[in-house]
Amino acid sequence: MSEEKIKHTEQDDHITDHDYDGIKELDNPPPRWIMLLFYITIGWAIIYGAYYFWLKEGDHQDAEYARKSEKHDQKYQIASLSADDLVAFTDEVSLAEGKQIYTEMACMACHGLNGEGNAIGPNLTDKFWIHGCDIQSVFNVIKNGVPAKGMTAFKGQISDEKIQKVASYILSMKDSNPANAKDPQGVECNN
Amino acid sequence: MENQKFYYDNKIVKLFILATLVWGVVGILVGILAAAQLAFPVFNFGLEYTTFGRVRPLHTNAIIFAFVGNAIFAGVYYSMQKLLKTRMFSDTLSKIHFWGWQTIIVLAAVTLLAGITTSKEYAELEWPIDIMITIIWVIFGWNMIGTLIVRRVQHIYAAIWWYLATFLGVAILHVVNSFELPISLFKSYSIYAGAQDAVVQWWYGHNAVAFFLTTPFLGLMYYYLPKAANRPIYSYKLSIIHFWSLIFLYMWAGPHHLLYQALPEWAQALGVTFSIMLIAPSWGGMINGLLTLRGAWDKVRDSAALKFLVVGVTAYGMSTFEGPMMSLKTVNQITHFTDWTIAHVHIAGMGWNGGLVFGMLYWLVPKLFKSKLFSEKLANIHFWMSTLAILLYAIPLYWAAVTQWLMWQEYTPEGFLAYPNFLETLTQIVPMYMVRVVAGLLFLGGFLIMVFNLAKTMKAGSFINNEASEAPALVLAGKRNAVKETFHRWMERRAVRFSIWTFVALSIGGAVEIIPMIFIKSNVPTLESVTPYTPLELEGRDIYVAEGCYVCHSQMVRPFRWETDRYGEYSKIGEFVYDYPFQWGSRRTGPDLARAGVIGGPMYKNAAWHYNHFMDPQKMNEESIMPNYAWLAVKNVDVTMTPKKIRAMQTLGVPYEEGYDQKAVADLMAQAQTISDDLKASGIELAPEKQMIALIAYLHKLGRDIMSENAAVTEEHGETAEQPTHEITLLNTPEDLEAGKKLYQANCVVCHGPEGKGIPPAFPSLVDDEWIKGNKPADVYHSIAEGNVAKGMIPYKNMLSEKQITQLASYVLITLHEQNQEK
Repeated sequence: MSEEKIKHTEQDDHITDHDYDGIKELDNPPPRWIMLLFYITIGWAIIYGAYYFWLKEGDHQDAEYARKSEKHDQKYQIASLSADDLVAFTDEVSLAEGKQIYTEMACMACHGLNGEGNAIGPNLTDKFWIHGCDIQSVFNVIKNGVPAKGMTAFKGQISDEKIQKVASYILSMKDSNPANAKDPQGVECNN
Repeated sequence: MENQKFYYDNKIVKLFILATLVWGVVGILVGILAAAQLAFPVFNFGLEYTTFGRVRPLHTNAIIFAFVGNAIFAGVYYSMQKLLKTRMFSDTLSKIHFWGWQTIIVLAAVTLLAGITTSKEYAELEWPIDIMITIIWVIFGWNMIGTLIVRRVQHIYAAIWWYLATFLGVAILHVVNSFELPISLFKSYSIYAGAQDAVVQWWYGHNAVAFFLTTPFLGLMYYYLPKAANRPIYSYKLSIIHFWSLIFLYMWAGPHHLLYQALPEWAQALGVTFSIMLIAPSWGGMINGLLTLRGAWDKVRDSAALKFLVVGVTAYGMSTFEGPMMSLKTVNQITHFTDWTIAHVHIAGMGWNGGLVFGMLYWLVPKLFKSKLFSEKLANIHFWMSTLAILLYAIPLYWAAVTQWLMWQEYTPEGFLAYPNFLETLTQIVPMYMVRVVAGLLFLGGFLIMVFNLAKTMKAGSFINNEASEAPALVLAGKRNAVKETFHRWMERRAVRFSIWTFVALSIGGAVEIIPMIFIKSNVPTLESVTPYTPLELEGRDIYVAEGCYVCHSQMVRPFRWETDRYGEYSKIGEFVYDYPFQWGSRRTGPDLARAGVIGGPMYKNAAWHYNHFMDPQKMNEESIMPNYAWLAVKNVDVTMTPKKIRAMQTLGVPYEEGYDQKAVADLMAQAQTISDDLKASGIELAPEKQMIALIAYLHKLGRDIMSENAAVTEEHGETAEQPTHEITLLNTPEDLEAGKKLYQANCVVCHGPEGKGIPPAFPSLVDDEWIKGNKPADVYHSIAEGNVAKGMIPYKNMLSEKQITQLASYVLITLHEQNQEK
């Protein structure tokens, strides 16, 4: 804005009796766009209310959850592992993956970094098992947990395939004799 | 007319300025400590007084009420006197206000670090301090209205409208939100529960931002910006429009803090729509400020004071656009519970509030001390450090927010959460927290430069406690001349009437939202299965509150698949009816705990896990940033308070039986003993009276009630759906029974024993006459197939074939039964 125009505004639009400790006020109208913005937001608010409450077009959050959840389930058909496929891996790649899952899922919080067990969870490296020592049992304990004893059920968190891998890794730790191993718990298991 | 001589009280302004500087340094330092704790948990120092849960509320309170509060009072006390051409109404009231406020701040600091808190954000202080705040605030208002009455100026200027709205708004908010039932000097319970408490709290929380951090600052802007720039206010009409629309609309917007949460849909919609309607009124203030600088931008280049004011006003415009956007439900699912909100409030706090305070001080201090600013150059350095610090603070946190949100809701191609372990999503953003520490240090550095600069300015100048001035006495103009005088102009010379209308505009929004939430029952549908807390759980809850667990852990699962997969069933309004106060939280630095007590759910951890985690979280996972809480294993629960707490709960409406307070302690000890025994079984010695036992009991209560109901429902459905079409016929051939025996020995012996006698009470006998789930062949088949996850019985349907399960059931019901009969 040019200097001249500013002067013009000031001279013309001063509200003469407005003087507060030297502060003067001009009589400019509010910029048109800000008023327009105000009316638009009010209109939007009315439409929003109408959409959700009078016309009942929009989903409320329970309905929205049900709808999106159904879509989610259609998108991801979670495959369960069949009993025939449930074998213990022994190849290095799978075991390394199993080890990584062991760390990612924080198994060491309760079973120790090397499966030695701690105050919470049992030793996973000895011959003694509370809930069975075959791949099926270990798989099942990881998948469904033993909630009463604090073992988390991981079925909603990782896939059957990953459970199979971490179970295989756990079985591979047998007789690794880590330091600070926890005393045996459960029954001796000889397979 | 003859001029009257009077003196401005500059001393009170100076006192408030000094307090602003002192508390500013303290508040920023505490903020840096809090930031450091999130980057490096060692800064929690292993002491109960310095954990993040206590330090963070201290930071927010110190910045808002100590630093910003004192700055507001300094600015208001100076400008009001000048604008009304009079000394403040009463020196005594001014002094009580000043010293009372400083006392409150010191008490706040001590009590918050001592774990004395109500846990309601920005209203954490306990009831005796709440009462002090009320008294001091009324004194401030009394002094203000008194000054208005003795003024020598006909009309009250826009700045003062905002000061009035501030006084009235904060008074309403503070009083309504602070209704609490005291049980001792240091402990009270909010009289509102659950969703009702949430509505009241966030009506307060949002409007504390409005009426403590916005309206007083708009008032300061209307005085200090035109003064510093020596320019007229751009538009008087805009002043009027944005004042009334802003103070009316703000009070409605609180529920935008509770979107997608356990709150009636209508309340959420009010939060959304009124937030959007607030954009224009907020921007009205920014525009009127920036357009006032028309033709004075050359001055901005040369004056650090004006630079700060301009950046402040601009930051205000940014925040008041960002805020409404964050109130849209779609956007809110990203910004809520992440660091987005933290970045948002710091742009407003460091930019808008900081900018205006610094700008005001650089202009006001030389004026008061009748000298020039010691160094304009240092002020410029402060300006650039401060601006850079804001960017360095906000950008990493926006990044962190989006990163963490993306990780929370990412699925693997198979349909599992990509990052099921919450900690992974936190570890990813910890480097951003380190950058934030640097930003905080930079901001502090700039602040200290300002303190030095102002101190030098004060030293060089000469200060007059009582500044002489004169003005003619005010002769009140008479009735309104409808032709010459607009309605608003007339109101401007009727201070009391103006205040009443302001009060009316402020009251409507809160009333419309809070009254129906409390008095219309359908807004809080009851859930039959939700039971009151046991005495031990109640004590544990009080520890949860005192330690500020809510600062990092929410208790609110939103209806998103990626939250229900991670935590469990989403939260329902009726779950929280016994929660005095509510504990929904506002930021998830740690995982949500709403379902921490759901046995078999993804969040459940047993007592031994909790014990080890409280003692040393980094031992459980070295990347955890949770502080340790080892003292909870040392300190005892004060059971002498328990009966009183039960009675308080009864007063508030919790349906404990008549006279339960007398039995509460015995029940508490019995429940504590079971947890202590449970820990002992894992080799952990922890006496039942320890605080940690109570806290574990509370965590194990969370979500359990509603899930037991859900579990019952699914079980019923499961039974009808999976009940075999034909009755199970036992297989009694020797081969089948032999196969059953083998299966039994492989799978069942551990818990039920070789003879089926079980290990009471944990594992039931299979050979007596008591059956939990019935002893018809179909019942036993079902128990084996579906298990009883809550009690530790594994479902075998995926591991054994139907035939095998039948064989197993046959073995149990035939062979074991016969063996037992023989004996």
